[in-house]
Amino acid sequence: MTAKKRIIHLANILYLVFLLIQFIPNSLDGETYSLYTIVFASAIEVLVIVVSIFIKKEKGFHLFTDIVSFIYGFLILWTLLTEKFNVLRAALFPPMGKVFHQFIADFDKIVLNIGSSIGIVIEGYVLAAIIAIPLGLFLGWSIRLGSAATYVSKFLGAIPPIVYIPYGIALLPTFRSVSVFVIFLATFWPVLASTMSGVLNVEKEVIDSAKVLNVNKFTMLFSVILPSALPQIFIGCNQGLSVSFILLTSAEMIGARSGLGYYVKNYSDLGDYTRTIVGLLVIGVVVVAISFLFNKLQNHLLKWKR
Amino acid sequence: MLSNIEVDNLTVNYTAKNHSFTALEDVSFSIEAGEFVSIIGSSGCGKSTLLSILEGINTPTKGEIRIDGKPINGTGTDRGVVFQHYSLFPWMTARKNIAFGIKQVKKDLSKSERLNIADKFLDKVGLEEFKDKYPSQLSGGMQQRVAIARALAMNTDILLMDEPFGAIDAKNRTILQELLLKLWEGDGTQEKKTVVFVTHDIDEAILLSDRIIMMTANPGKVRKEIPVPFERPRNRSELVQTSEYGKFRNKLINLFYGDIAEKIGGNEVVL
Repeated sequence: MTAKKRIIHLANILYLVFLLIQFIPNSLDGETYSLYTIVFASAIEVLVIVVSIFIKKEKGFHLFTDIVSFIYGFLILWTLLTEKFNVLRAALFPPMGKVFHQFIADFDKIVLNIGSSIGIVIEGYVLAAIIAIPLGLFLGWSIRLGSAATYVSKFLGAIPPIVYIPYGIALLPTFRSVSVFVIFLATFWPVLASTMSGVLNVEKEVIDSAKVLNVNKFTMLFSVILPSALPQIFIGCNQGLSVSFILLTSAEMIGARSGLGYYVKNYSDLGDYTRTIVGLLVIGVVVVAISFLFNKLQNHLLKWKR
Repeated sequence: MLSNIEVDNLTVNYTAKNHSFTALEDVSFSIEAGEFVSIIGSSGCGKSTLLSILEGINTPTKGEIRIDGKPINGTGTDRGVVFQHYSLFPWMTARKNIAFGIKQVKKDLSKSERLNIADKFLDKVGLEEFKDKYPSQLSGGMQQRVAIARALAMNTDILLMDEPFGAIDAKNRTILQELLLKLWEGDGTQEKKTVVFVTHDIDEAILLSDRIIMMTANPGKVRKEIPVPFERPRNRSELVQTSEYGKFRNKLINLFYGDIAEKIGGNEVVL
């Protein structure tokens, strides 16, 4: 990559545009905390500079600068439409600087809410996975039970887990346990179904070569069938994970006293749309981060697949 | 310590929906301890069915196979197997595959002892640099080397090989045959394993075996048992140049294709 390509690209141009529009006088009354937005954009720009010095692959660099361009483009548009020309209603569309300022002011509270939300997801999700995977292995392996279980799990899995929320509230003592319960159900059925189908789809040749090695039942199930079915098990785990967040935030919006869903719902009820936007962005970041880590885990465990 | 094998009146019938098919009919022969025997025949002669019964993953309709006088009942740690495909587990590296095999027969060894043995056998098949590769990162020939290394590392009395080089290109097949020959013959000091080797390649059978059992199809039966008259240790390039080799090979080919000529009702077969 030439030095010219590393310096002159859309992201850098947009960064300059962003800095230039700061000279337009504000048409909005009150503090807009524009400095926070400038610091945020500049932090990204530092990252761009570091990356442009060290990155080797041109394709990866383009992807990175394109993503940054989107962020800058969004910031420019938002800044112009809010604090600069006041086109959008200020109460509903706060300047980005205020969002960043609020995020920092509420940081401790947000961390607590993230902790509360992730705790629930992990509890429900992990519980479902550690029950569903061995059960699916066992049911898939004993063919007769397995075929009946397939139909049962198809039926129960077809019920959207969100409709369990009202029943869960009547059934369980705390709101937290309702959330765990619903996430458990949302993960349990897809993981059970995908584990069973993974077991049923293990090639006969793999089973035969394990048999001739004289493996015992336990080894067969956990050292041969489990890894062989793992690619398919992950399909169910992925499905469970993506549904878990939808359910969790829905549940938190219905009646919880903590969590990210509660944060968003609570402040939008109070008309504090700056905090609402803070909550939305934080949820986005948290979900992306968890999906990223989960993908890493999946790629690590399935690295034997080309 | 070494094991002999007796195949006694083995019959296998498959029933599918409304017709039954006889894969093997009254097959009997015996294999001595330390003998290398090839089973050769056209497709459908039941040679793979026969081997699957020896492996213990298939059961006969009638008759039995005895190892050292004891009837086979399922799989056993006395037999190591190399298949044509899928012998290795794709989620384990080459050395883990071998160590896993060792673990099943020698439970008292520690993990590092097992890995040491695995490395030693990977070295023997010339794959020490590839020990941490997954099967999908290895060529077909390399995968079979690992499978052979595992079977040898498990140090079973009997080695069962079901067309292990059937899916390998000609050049690599030659290399693998010579490797197997070298490993099995050893340096003459250690005891040889009893090997049952299924193939449809006549040259492969001659090069490797002490005796060839030729089978015929529909139903699968033993057509003839032919001892291979060549001295060991054998060397392919020297062996194939001798006139005895040509004669012996012709005899086998006539037997092999005479069978087919009979079936299609003609006397001449264009080879």
